[in-house]
Amino acid sequence: MDIFLQVMVTGLTLGALYALAATGLALVWGTLGMFNMAHGIFMTVGAYGAFVAVDMFGFPRPFAFVFGLAAGGIIGAATYLFVARFMIGRRNFETNIIVATAGIAILAQDIILKIFGAYPFSQPVVIDGKFSIGDVIVPTQRVLILVGAALLLLGVNILLTRTKLGRAIRATAMSIDAARLMGVRTSRTYLQVIVIAGVLAGAAGIMVSSLSTLSPQMGGNPMLMAFVVCVVAGLGHIGGTGLAAIGLGILEATIQYFLGVQYGFPVMLLLVILFLIWRPNGLFGKQLVVRL
Amino acid sequence: MKSSMTRRGFFGRTAAAGVGGAALLASMNSQASAADGEPIIVGCPSPLTGIVAADGIEFRRGLELAAEEINTIGGILGRPIQLEFVDTESKGDDVVSQAAQRLVDRNNASALITGYNLETGTVLPEISADAGVICMHAQTQVTHEEVIKSDPDRYWGSFMIDPPETFYADGLLEFIKELETKGKFDRPNDKLAIITGPGNYSVNIADTLNEKAKEYGFEVSLFETVKVPISEWGPTLSKLRADPPAVIAMTHYFPQDQAQFMLQFMDDPTDSLVYMQYGASLAAFRDVAGDASEGVLYATVIGALQDEIGIAFREAYAAKFGADASPNSGGQTYQALYMYAIAASLAGGVGAAYEEEQNRKVAERLRGLIFRGPMGTYRCVQETQSAYAYPAQTNDPSLGMPHIFSQIQSKAEDGKLVAPWPYIVADFQLPNWMKS
Repeated sequence: MDIFLQVMVTGLTLGALYALAATGLALVWGTLGMFNMAHGIFMTVGAYGAFVAVDMFGFPRPFAFVFGLAAGGIIGAATYLFVARFMIGRRNFETNIIVATAGIAILAQDIILKIFGAYPFSQPVVIDGKFSIGDVIVPTQRVLILVGAALLLLGVNILLTRTKLGRAIRATAMSIDAARLMGVRTSRTYLQVIVIAGVLAGAAGIMVSSLSTLSPQMGGNPMLMAFVVCVVAGLGHIGGTGLAAIGLGILEATIQYFLGVQYGFPVMLLLVILFLIWRPNGLFGKQLVVRL
Repeated sequence: MKSSMTRRGFFGRTAAAGVGGAALLASMNSQASAADGEPIIVGCPSPLTGIVAADGIEFRRGLELAAEEINTIGGILGRPIQLEFVDTESKGDDVVSQAAQRLVDRNNASALITGYNLETGTVLPEISADAGVICMHAQTQVTHEEVIKSDPDRYWGSFMIDPPETFYADGLLEFIKELETKGKFDRPNDKLAIITGPGNYSVNIADTLNEKAKEYGFEVSLFETVKVPISEWGPTLSKLRADPPAVIAMTHYFPQDQAQFMLQFMDDPTDSLVYMQYGASLAAFRDVAGDASEGVLYATVIGALQDEIGIAFREAYAAKFGADASPNSGGQTYQALYMYAIAASLAGGVGAAYEEEQNRKVAERLRGLIFRGPMGTYRCVQETQSAYAYPAQTNDPSLGMPHIFSQIQSKAEDGKLVAPWPYIVADFQLPNWMKS
């Protein structure tokens, strides 16, 4: 029972982090058709944003958290305004944007490195403390990650399903031409989507760094896992992305416990290959129809 | 290169530091001034970014401090040392190879000096052999010794300034045995848990520990290989808590990963000694782990000592780079550059890249050098061009690099050296989590 609880605590924490990271990636991928290689650096910027807010400006932790989210949103907006919007609609957009965003990621990582150096700072936006469930000790920070991720994803779900902005985003994702004909300002919608993705990535970055340390390359691994989640879940279903993320987190923790820690990530990658072969639209994704 | 230090000020400090060879260098330079000659380029391919950047930054600092001091007393026979750095990004053979080649071809480096890189241990000897330059590193890998032995005539210029990692396993088991003999540690059971990363260095130590454990009455209850970097230790800790060992030996050496382990371990600690390979010697470990760092044991075959020479170096290092800087890593390149400068001066100067004849003379001097610096005594094992290990290879501490064991007793300061004699400055203390 204790082992089950320990594995669940680890799995749910990992799953919550993956869900936050993957939702933003999936949102941009599904709406703009843009695989954003800079998504990892959005996380890094969010994490450093929160760090700066506490360390340099002395903000209280809740404000610093919001500051980190804002930093993620701002780099998202900058990516769209200064790069992506000039490429959307052009030939080979899907391929070119991967290269362009990879370039942004490398550049931003270098800038962070120049400003902060490579020292592994601790993330100050954490909550100390722990409690026990039976014989298992649970750090409060992990509960915070789980609850925080759930609230953020719930918020995004409500935004997408119950608001005018959400309708515009969904309409744009389904058909940009139809959305335009219905009066949706698609360019603004794209900007809004990528800002939301940046905010979610910022939150993921703060939470990831609260369990590790800050480093300019810290977004790399979480982004890979976000990619895995997107492939397994498919695009176009926020709830599905969250469920897949939680499931993968628990699966990874279980593999790490029973087979060994080194097998966790390779099995995830194997899953990606299997899904791409046998179920390319993922568990919850919609079939893409190309009209000729 | 403009120095911020005066010759008089330097001697005031180095005399206190007792940096072996500084006086020798100064006397050889007595007729020259550092500003007079053409600079000697020393290249440093080092991991300045990426996962082991905490170390790489210190390697750079160690060289900067040594170069500043050496240049103040006239450099190498009147020629100042000029440092060039190329970032190896905490990456493998390909990037390290490119970085080293660039230092040789573009910067015309006469020598390559670094701490370690995340390479297989074969790259720098190859570049050094092809370019006819000296290479000095603290890769701490037996691979270096195998390479040198495979063709001593080709690899005449490569030196590992510390012993290989193969001494770690025996050293740890001997250390625990000594604690038990002296009644300082009473193992609650005979179980030993080994946690390793995927790199050669970590795996070699872990494998040797696994092989030798039985000889010391241990049964290996867990042998876990982790993916790195790693921050989520939940599954590994679950296994440890389900079957608590007497000793946890982590041979994976990234300080931030080790710090996360301790933070999560301390949520519900087991009755186990915790030993961590190398990483815990860095300030970053204590900085991240905080209170959870206290009680941890670590070892290194090349760490700053806490005797007169070591303390003077530590103070100079902290004065220049701040209290958070790590002399344990910076001291590696600091000591190496002093050794190189002395050997080069004794050889009558250095050759540039591809000027093999003169550089071979420098190598010859390095092979014969016995140098006592802040990290201990370097003496070259002739057939492997690596350092003698004390106490494993010599029982004379003045003739080998000490395999030092330290324990963090306060998060605010470096670990206290608890073995071997005569470098001990504090007694081993049972960690608080074991007392309770």
